[in-house]
Amino acid sequence: MATITAPLDRPLEGKRPHINEYLRWSVDHKIIGVQYMVTALFFFIVGGALAMMIRAELLTPALDVAASGQQFNTIFSMHGTIMIFGWIIPMMAGFGNYFVPLQLGAKDMAFPWLNAFAFWLIPPAGMLLILSWFIGPIEAGWTAYPPLSTLFSGDGQTLAALSLHLLGISSILGAINFIVTIKNMRPPGMGYFQMPLFTWTILATALIIVLATPFLAGALTLLILDRIGGTKFFDAANGGDVLLWQNVFWFYSHPAVYIMVLPGMGILSEVLAVHSRKSIFGYKLVALSSLGIALIGFTVWAHHMFTSLTPELRIPFMITSMIIAVPTGIKVFSWLATIWMGKIRFTAAMLFGLGFLSMFVIGGISGVMLATLPFDIHVHDTYFVVSHLHFVLFGGAVFAIYAGIYHWFPKVTGRMLDERLGRLHFFITYVSFFLTFFPMNFAGMLGMPRRVAVYDPKFQTLNVIISIAGFVLGVSTFILFYNMFDSLRHGKKASANPWRALTLEWATSSPPPSTNFIEDPVPMSDPYGYGTTEAEAYLYGQEQQFGPLKPAHFEAALLAAASDDSDPLPEGAGD
Amino acid sequence: MAQLVETHGHTHDHESPQAKAENLKFAMWLYLASEVIIFSILIAAFAIFRVRQPEMVDEAREALSISFVSVNTFVLLASSWAMVMGLLAIQKGNNESMVRWIGLTGVLGLTFVLLQLVEYQELRHEGIALYSETAGRFGQRFYPLTAFHGAHVIVGVIWAFIVMFKGIKRQYSPTNYIGIEIFGLYWHFVDVVWIILFTMIYLI
Repeated sequence: MATITAPLDRPLEGKRPHINEYLRWSVDHKIIGVQYMVTALFFFIVGGALAMMIRAELLTPALDVAASGQQFNTIFSMHGTIMIFGWIIPMMAGFGNYFVPLQLGAKDMAFPWLNAFAFWLIPPAGMLLILSWFIGPIEAGWTAYPPLSTLFSGDGQTLAALSLHLLGISSILGAINFIVTIKNMRPPGMGYFQMPLFTWTILATALIIVLATPFLAGALTLLILDRIGGTKFFDAANGGDVLLWQNVFWFYSHPAVYIMVLPGMGILSEVLAVHSRKSIFGYKLVALSSLGIALIGFTVWAHHMFTSLTPELRIPFMITSMIIAVPTGIKVFSWLATIWMGKIRFTAAMLFGLGFLSMFVIGGISGVMLATLPFDIHVHDTYFVVSHLHFVLFGGAVFAIYAGIYHWFPKVTGRMLDERLGRLHFFITYVSFFLTFFPMNFAGMLGMPRRVAVYDPKFQTLNVIISIAGFVLGVSTFILFYNMFDSLRHGKKASANPWRALTLEWATSSPPPSTNFIEDPVPMSDPYGYGTTEAEAYLYGQEQQFGPLKPAHFEAALLAAASDDSDPLPEGAGD
Repeated sequence: MAQLVETHGHTHDHESPQAKAENLKFAMWLYLASEVIIFSILIAAFAIFRVRQPEMVDEAREALSISFVSVNTFVLLASSWAMVMGLLAIQKGNNESMVRWIGLTGVLGLTFVLLQLVEYQELRHEGIALYSETAGRFGQRFYPLTAFHGAHVIVGVIWAFIVMFKGIKRQYSPTNYIGIEIFGLYWHFVDVVWIILFTMIYLI
């Protein structure tokens, strides 16, 4: 018979930490998680502002907004670098920091001090990156290919490389911490295959980070030596090799794509299962496909170099690049089967989850198209590539982050986000996102090159559509920011488990007390066993412990949709 | 069928010294895994150079003194041995002996670094700079690689003296020597890397 954590004699009331706690050194993983997320959101605004400048420039075929072509180069280089290294990667690290220990029922990460240290490398790195703008702008794109990055970029390129070094150290230290935490801190009764899927994806991501990031460190070291030490590693005229950079850089940066999207896939597994009240379809395969993606991700790097690669290596890399669609496909079909016949609650989190599913599939398909060699050579370095990467990074990673924010905001802050604003945010974002990035496919196939400020006037109509949709997309972000600020003060109080979820982060108050749990939580053997009598008994037990999960003023529509999981309890289940 | 797991009342022992020692050791191995990768990039850069331009390496080797470097290699190997002896000493509970051995480890490591600086000086006199038109292509493969390793040795020397200092303050015991053990992992790693570098650069 099932056992339920005994009701406590004192109420579990978590208090939100004082704002000052977030501004100083803290070893509490929850504080650090929020520090990561707030820092990342700051960079999101900076990177977003740069994106708006790009779109303003491209409204007309002539050079008008940017002072020069060089300045335009700097704008898009900074946009890419900041969005990847300042926004998505730290944001995912923030989710991981906050929720992995909670999902494991642990008090903290394995190395709390190291965790804080890893975070505090990020603000100086971010400052270096932004400073680079002022001392000699980078112009080589986020990929920093030599000779662009060695002969043309200003001194800012060196600063940017140092900044990425710091970020790399930060993410390696963070990843080591995650792996040790997940391997050694699981509670009794939680094997690897009882772990929540978000934790699984963080494990896979951390393995990639530990094994791939050193490549970036190696490449950056050589780049810095070339720039300030007078070496010629990348100078073909002096016995160097420009392809050395491309190989080593992409050996990191292709896996880095999965560093950015795998945690998003984890968030999606949580959100889809919880909000459609269904068990994950093919749990083991979903879990293992994360490792599959991590592994195969190391074998595809040269598809970024189809046009510079030795011809006989093209076909092998085309094949591996297509194979990696298989584990991704497994996940997509599992998610579809998970929501199939589910009792779907169209919360903002769920909407963004579905948004991810649809947009990520488009990005995945254009990815397979790009992996196809003849097609790639046609659209190489055009807006088709820009469309693809934004469909997987914005339609994938960022939509997942949005879903994660709507799903977990109540846990972190103790307040519900406004669902109506959330749905408004979703619809505007979803439509404007599609209208921004989908027409880029046409522009690309018609031959519009990426990374140019001046283009053939025949592309103007498309670019005007893209830019206007892009501005709407930019503005839609502020709905989320307004919602977060407003809900912090005026939002409805969140119960311990407003979504009636079974994973352990919901088995404590919102926000959790500083020790996370008053007493050790007992994990379910199936973290997604919705609709089973055990799950009902567990949720019933939680209501006894924490009071009503669904607040009385919870929106009626959601309540109705969710009502069928409050079936009468089986006899004796609440013992 | 989902079932709640019957482990109620079982307390976590993630806080126990054994659990923490396990965590530290595992983390150290992961850290070393990422170190292996950084070194392999630099080693690969050297290996490609060795294969493509063998004459340039052969030429540069005339400037390198193999016997001198062999002595230096022996010094580093000896420091690894001192490290092992220090670990054995603390396991037997002999704190004073441990402090002496770890101190010796640090001193030998320091000797290695100083001798490497002497070697750099010699090479500079021979005209092998980080980059120069003539022998430069050897220098740019040689210096980053050996200096990166040297930086690891310097970190190890500082770490050895920290361990020694903690030993003097009697912070280790036969049941609590994880701090020495993970330092040992690091030190042996640095040693093994040197053996590979020595073979690559000076022998084959």
